[in-house]
Amino acid sequence: MSETYRNRLLLVIALLLAAIYLFPLYWMYITALKTGSEMFATPPSFWPDDPQWSIFPFVFQLKGMGRFLWNSVVIASGSVALIAVLGTGAAYVLARYRNVWVDVGLFLVLMLQVLPASLMITPIFVLFTLTGILDYPRTAVILAIAAKSMPFFIVLVRATFMSVPMELEEAALVDGNSRVGAFWSIVLPLARNGILVSAILIFMQAFGEFVYSKSLIQEIELQPSSVGLNAFMGPNTNEWNRIMAFASIYVTPILATFVLLQRRIVSGLTSGALK
Amino acid sequence: MTTQIEFSGVNKHYGAYHALKDINLSIDKGSFVALVGPSGCGKSTLLRSLAGLEKITGGDISIAGEVVTMLPPRKRDVAMVFQSYALYPHMTVEENLTYSLRVHGVSKAERKKAAAEVAATTGLSELLHRYPRELSGGQRQRVAMSRAIIRNPKAFLFDEPLSNLDAALRVHMRKEIRALHDRLGATSVYVTHDQIEAMTMADHVVVLRAGIIEQQGRPLDLYDKPANKFVAGFIGSPAMNFLPATVADGGAAMIDLGNRPIRLTIPVAAPIGANVLIGIRPEHITLTAPGEGRFDAPVAFTESTGSTTFVSTATTPELMVVETGRRMVTNGDLVGLAFADAAIHVFDGTTEKRL
Repeated sequence: MSETYRNRLLLVIALLLAAIYLFPLYWMYITALKTGSEMFATPPSFWPDDPQWSIFPFVFQLKGMGRFLWNSVVIASGSVALIAVLGTGAAYVLARYRNVWVDVGLFLVLMLQVLPASLMITPIFVLFTLTGILDYPRTAVILAIAAKSMPFFIVLVRATFMSVPMELEEAALVDGNSRVGAFWSIVLPLARNGILVSAILIFMQAFGEFVYSKSLIQEIELQPSSVGLNAFMGPNTNEWNRIMAFASIYVTPILATFVLLQRRIVSGLTSGALK
Repeated sequence: MTTQIEFSGVNKHYGAYHALKDINLSIDKGSFVALVGPSGCGKSTLLRSLAGLEKITGGDISIAGEVVTMLPPRKRDVAMVFQSYALYPHMTVEENLTYSLRVHGVSKAERKKAAAEVAATTGLSELLHRYPRELSGGQRQRVAMSRAIIRNPKAFLFDEPLSNLDAALRVHMRKEIRALHDRLGATSVYVTHDQIEAMTMADHVVVLRAGIIEQQGRPLDLYDKPANKFVAGFIGSPAMNFLPATVADGGAAMIDLGNRPIRLTIPVAAPIGANVLIGIRPEHITLTAPGEGRFDAPVAFTESTGSTTFVSTATTPELMVVETGRRMVTNGDLVGLAFADAAIHVFDGTTEKRL
């Protein structure tokens, strides 16, 4: 089998898999645009005859999506801010010191990554109720998400810090800077790409978070979009087009961000951002 | 001469590993001192302890009369050139040069002026606005040097600064560093594993092995009077020949070269029957016709670089001879080996110390 032939075959397979993977997304967008009768037509149509563009402003108004999206942004930003500040510090220490306690710490951090949210939510709920944090539901969700996503951030950012040679820091120390000063002026700027990319990934994760928000936030006006979308669903739901319109409005900004930044995200994750 | 740097009873442990063992060393102001030894001998650790990058576990270090043992690097006022140069990749050459000045709160105008001055002396003027990744190895090396000299520190520390350069550039930079040292009247401590660098650049060479100072002194003194077998073998290239021998009567020693014992007069007194090592540098042996030297040996192989010929003998242990010029001997030829009494070094067979 020749080289080009094999490459073409692999490309076709890749496209096929991507198509299967992305089909639900496509179905979401076209269902949102279909009319009520077209939605239930058999065989289904793969392109809407009469796209209902007005559904987007209609659903946005009907469900008060501005509120939901705002809550999602607040929760995601809060989580990212908390994780970035604490996680960067933790990752730096874990990258620079090597002893038994650091290994134990790293193991525990990775352990946290293994535990699923649905398992953690019960103890978290009890703890937050007892301490009164549940009176500030969005803060409670931010804390819970931070605890869940921190390990992921630490592992990624630690690798970034490890790619910054220790000698650069030592040069800064000999040049007259303190350890803190060297961290701010040398290490942090060099690790910036890795930190930013990890923060973006955390943001996207937190933006779509559901389990903690659903469990910890009772008030509708404080709920994020993920919970709002879920509230749409009922035993007798048949408003598929509206649900899909809601979902489209919810995910399009994240998708757009990812497409715009994907080159940087991929390079930030894989390369040493140094050379 | 006043003492600029002093190590007194310095010890360094990494857990159970004893990296520096009771180091005592004083370095005069304005001198160029080379710390030399094989890898793992503690030379870099000693330098890093001086910079404050390693905490010593015993003893004291003082710089310019002030005990700095407990001070962090930034309070020691030394400049260091790293093996990897450690240039800040996100800063231009100018920013790299002036980083220490910025940290010390020097105004922007003065920083620019200082950078321009230093760049002019090191030939970096055209490169001030480039980033380190846009420079060649030699240029990076210059930036690292310039970054050290811009702030007039109490001492310059070099950690194998030339090991990443190619051979020709290394020879050139050797001279340049030494010239810079003389011009600035600075005190320099230079770590290297290359004894040629140490011999050619330094006023004072310190040979380390396994955390111990084996010998220190002027480069030629180390060459002429090595204190023990290790120093004798380490200084000089190619390495000194060592021949095991037994002391006989009449101020002589019997050398065993595998086939028959050879009687050789030695310039030192030793008890009869003692085991000794006879050391002779390859460059101190001259080839003669068979029978005209101290003893004869067959040639195992020869290598010629054009200007120099290296001849190895087919004896156990083999002897290396360096002859200037071209020598028409071929494998299997019998040659005589001649050398002066002064060329003979004698070391104790067990302690390996010079007798």
